[in-house]
Amino acid sequence: MSVDVVKIEVDGKEVEARKGQMLIEVTDNIGTYIPRFCYHEKLSIAANCRMCLVEVEKAPKPMPACATPVMDGMKVFTRSPAAISAQKATMEFLLINHPLDCPICDQGGECELQDLALGYGRDVSRYQERKRVVKDKDIGPLVSTDMTRCIHCTRCVRFGEEITGLQELGTTERGENMKIGTYVEKSIDHELSGNIIDLCPVGALNNKPYRYSARAWEMVQRESVSPHDCVGSNMFAHVLRGTIKRIVPRQNESINETWLPDRDRFSYEGIYSRDRLLTPRMKAGGVWEDISWEEALKKLAEKVRAADGNKIGILAAPWSTLEELHLLSRLAEHIGTSNIDHRIRRRDFSDQDNDPAVPSLGCSIAELESANAILVVGSNLRKEAPILAHRVRKAALNGCQVNVVNHSEYQYYFDINQHIHGTGLVQELAGIAVAASRGDISGSVASICDGVVPSAAQKAIAESLAAADDAIIFTGLIAARHPAFSAVRALSSAISDATGSRFGSLTEGANSAGAHLAGVLPHRARGGTSRANRGLDAAAIAGGSLDVVMLFGVEPESDLTCIPSAEACLAAQNFVVAMTPYAGESLERAADLLLPVGTFAETAGTFVNCELKWQSFNGVANPVGEARPGWKVLRVLGNLLDAEQFDYQSSEEVRDELAAQIGDFDAAQRYAGTRALAVVNGADSAAEQIDIPIYEVDGVVRRATALQLTPEACRSQGDGS
Amino acid sequence: MTKLRSYIKTFTLWELWQGLSVTFRNFFRTPVTVYYPEEKTPQSPRFRGLHALRRYPNGEERCIACKLCEAVCPALAITIESDVGEDGTRRTTRYDIDLFKCIYCGFCEEACPVDAIVETRIHEYHMESPGENIMTKDKLLAIGDKYDAMISADKAADAKYR
Amino acid sequence: MKALLPDFVLNIWMSVWGWLPPLMQYLVETTFWILVVMITVILAVAFTTYFERKVIGYMQGRIGPNRVGPLGLGQPFADVIKLLIKEVIVPGKSNRFLFIIAPLLTLIPALATWAVIPLTDTFVIADINAGLLYVLSLTSVGVYGVILAGWATNSKYALLGAMRSAAQIVAYEIAMGFALVGVLMAGGSLNLGVITEAQSGGFSSWFVWPLLPLFFVYLISGVAETNRAPFDVAEGESEIVAGFHVEYSGVAFALFFLGEYANIILISALTSILFLGGYNSFFEGWTFLGEGHFLREPALLWLIIKICFFIFVFFWLRATFPRYRYDQIMRLGWKVFIPVTIVWIVVEGVMAWMQVGPWRNLAG
Repeated sequence: MSVDVVKIEVDGKEVEARKGQMLIEVTDNIGTYIPRFCYHEKLSIAANCRMCLVEVEKAPKPMPACATPVMDGMKVFTRSPAAISAQKATMEFLLINHPLDCPICDQGGECELQDLALGYGRDVSRYQERKRVVKDKDIGPLVSTDMTRCIHCTRCVRFGEEITGLQELGTTERGENMKIGTYVEKSIDHELSGNIIDLCPVGALNNKPYRYSARAWEMVQRESVSPHDCVGSNMFAHVLRGTIKRIVPRQNESINETWLPDRDRFSYEGIYSRDRLLTPRMKAGGVWEDISWEEALKKLAEKVRAADGNKIGILAAPWSTLEELHLLSRLAEHIGTSNIDHRIRRRDFSDQDNDPAVPSLGCSIAELESANAILVVGSNLRKEAPILAHRVRKAALNGCQVNVVNHSEYQYYFDINQHIHGTGLVQELAGIAVAASRGDISGSVASICDGVVPSAAQKAIAESLAAADDAIIFTGLIAARHPAFSAVRALSSAISDATGSRFGSLTEGANSAGAHLAGVLPHRARGGTSRANRGLDAAAIAGGSLDVVMLFGVEPESDLTCIPSAEACLAAQNFVVAMTPYAGESLERAADLLLPVGTFAETAGTFVNCELKWQSFNGVANPVGEARPGWKVLRVLGNLLDAEQFDYQSSEEVRDELAAQIGDFDAAQRYAGTRALAVVNGADSAAEQIDIPIYEVDGVVRRATALQLTPEACRSQGDGS
Repeated sequence: MTKLRSYIKTFTLWELWQGLSVTFRNFFRTPVTVYYPEEKTPQSPRFRGLHALRRYPNGEERCIACKLCEAVCPALAITIESDVGEDGTRRTTRYDIDLFKCIYCGFCEEACPVDAIVETRIHEYHMESPGENIMTKDKLLAIGDKYDAMISADKAADAKYR
Repeated sequence: MKALLPDFVLNIWMSVWGWLPPLMQYLVETTFWILVVMITVILAVAFTTYFERKVIGYMQGRIGPNRVGPLGLGQPFADVIKLLIKEVIVPGKSNRFLFIIAPLLTLIPALATWAVIPLTDTFVIADINAGLLYVLSLTSVGVYGVILAGWATNSKYALLGAMRSAAQIVAYEIAMGFALVGVLMAGGSLNLGVITEAQSGGFSSWFVWPLLPLFFVYLISGVAETNRAPFDVAEGESEIVAGFHVEYSGVAFALFFLGEYANIILISALTSILFLGGYNSFFEGWTFLGEGHFLREPALLWLIIKICFFIFVFFWLRATFPRYRYDQIMRLGWKVFIPVTIVWIVVEGVMAWMQVGPWRNLAG
């Protein structure tokens, strides 16, 4: 037995515990439930609700289990008359000021106070005086407040202090007058702040878009995965009669812990936006008319048959499921075209042969926490992948040196070692590369680094990376969209080589990795093998003159940023078919045929996230209108085109076929950097043009009404970007 | 002896005659039938008939869309959709009772925290075409308005026993 | 008749009548009487249904039909109209011909048997010598209707009902036949008129006294023959829906209905004639009424009263007894009724030969 282990007795049962552990952790581990409100395993201990009082032998008074460290030989009684009476007394105090409005409270049915009041509450109140009333605060479009219900557990306050680092809520006054609020009226603004809804044990902080629309007990909980970033946060969709009513986090310690970014939590509203495409539509003589699925697919098959294989282009969104991407890639093979791409926001394709077979973060998401030094290149990390930003913040709080290289300054709520910004990315990275290699630079990037003298900050970054045992460098989405992406990547890779760091990158959407696996690339087929006849890349497809262009989940104006004025270019193409959940104005101008396919919530599928984890999910909601899951649409199209072996019965069948075809290839095949970068391909540009605001990353988010009302969205709209 | 007795009983059809005598005597009793549309039996104020949604005296709907009636309904006859009302309160946007599913158990009435849904003493109603079995919110409120006096009187009569 | 019709109509009628050949006269007259009896029976059936519902209603503390017409007397006609305007559905895989002919096969024998029933001491449509035999054979034909209906429907419930009915009727026919042998011995003739005449001479000379066990066997077998409660396993709605007529509707069902009630009336009439002296008066031997008093004369009225009583008994039984189990019915038929009748025929023969008690006057 190690010295760290102590033995205690809980309700007469002997239990081993680590020294210094709090009593409530020990009891939770052995499954003895102690009632609690303020204790939360991810937050610090406040011990202010007093609900977890238990009797400890030889202690004169009941002790709070959440704040009592275990001692050797301690005897604890959780259900003794003294403990129960202490808990009942606490409950009576809590209920003194809690309103009796459970029937109209959205927390009703899933309320910790309600549940515990059933066990510990009195039948009749002895309190005769007036109840306290607290004015509700308007804290933005995402979280509704009913502050009279607050029991002052301060979980939300501690969440702000400890998890986001941005203290948005606090307590003012004391005793009976204590209030939770923002002090000066303002909206809560952090991209994770929606989590206070889940933290609040009562109905004081609640989900505003969901307000009053359903009850906890009538909804069905279905598992899903977030489509908005490369993290693939796990979530539950709560569905009532086939309609998603709200999204809550699904605990997965290796990915999103118990948190869920607001973007994933509130984006479901976009699924039910008014411009959903309800039936297939076709443009005839400049006028849109509804047609049947059969007609539409026949028409499309006709057009595809009539076209020359090389004159057909396919553009898929990187948030399409793996199954859809695989079928698109198979369809392209059947038609005989290599003009297929998913890199709809990349500007620099010059070094695409050196792309890794599958882009990844280079380490697992949880590993970020234990790094000693991190260099984030060209990323608005908090907005691009809030969960990763949270992991990086945790690392920083653990003593990791976090360095950031970017165009402009983005705010992080932790101490950053070096934050360089202002000039172009290539220039900055060249300095770090020179500093890291101590002037002894060679290989493909030598020409860029020629004559660069590193600044003090650049030297400091290089030093911190070199000194760290476990250093990680990753490029963000601003880097990925950068006109000189190949140079940025070559330089970052050179730095990682010089400092012995791990190197990775963030990718667009939820499934860029999946698109690489499925071979939705003009130069690579399935599993990263090279194509014999290489096709046109995304920019060339969008800007070329082809017979048929297929857009899958892509909206030209907002998504297709690889070339300027993509919409006009597409409109000039011969025949554009868009398989899309939405009928936006942009699509109506650019396309000739619109086919409604389901969003991530309406189709079964798989996303491959940035740590190359395959996460499959089922459709959670009924399709809106005549929308059908994308893989089914593609299956039927394949059948109409007489493609062989195209009779899939389920999305799992599609996925398993792809998995079997890929085999166990080396997923870690990383950027090689062999191509000589004599000149920087493309200019360093200002960040604003290539950063996409957090709530505009894809069609679903763009249509989520509550998210579009947040200060964050208003700011980016005000900027005109 | 008992065997002989039972033989005699069997062959004289004794028990059958006993049975016949019961029906024969009843034949001359006065029937207990109530001539229904002309005569009616007395009704309890607790009678559970057609449903109604009530309002407060100021005209405000009582129903707060808590969905407890929907949850307690053993026949799943109630369907409610709710949203934030015009005045920011919790309101139903749909309140349907399928009278074909309803078993008139009165649980909805018991569950209601605001006495909004009640079962009235109305039991003489019918449907003529499909779909009329669905009592919508408007129909229920209209019944509540029309029979408000009766419902209030019934509630008052029963109040002291609750 | 003379009062109702104008003279010239009568004159024309008389001249036409006289001009007709005798055979035609016979045919027209017989047809007329057949129609009279048939329509009377059918009307009686209508009111029998009403009577049944009222009787059972009162026995159950209810009042029965009371909505159509005064006292609900219009109810049978409302039912008839309802049945007539309903659609006759012929099941797709049924035998169409047999399906349609089956209800007729139950109705026609029930009506045809009335030809030999002596309604008064002077009137009978066909005064044939083998009347009793004719009755026996025709009532046996009736069962074919049930069996054919069950078979033609091509439904397992209907077939089950038909098989039950067939087995039951075979069992009870024998007991019934033996009971009739007793009557035959007592009356010394197969002619129903002669049998009735043999019972004249007052209350005490009715065959019910010397043949009491046979009377009960005959009555109960009659209930079984007509598939009435408590022997209605052929319908057995709680087990086999409605038995042989499960798929019948509208007019076809109405014919079955008519047949069943016509059979009830027929069995009641036969029981009255064979055991209760038919048209003979209850008061025949009551000398204090004076010679030639109308109450002592044989009349149709007495027969009708007796028939009504037995119809009432049918309904009384239905209101009182629960349905027999099938094996109980079989046991009763084969193991009780047949031995009882055989024993009683022997007893009757011996008694009549020894000229004892009430058997003294029997013809045998």
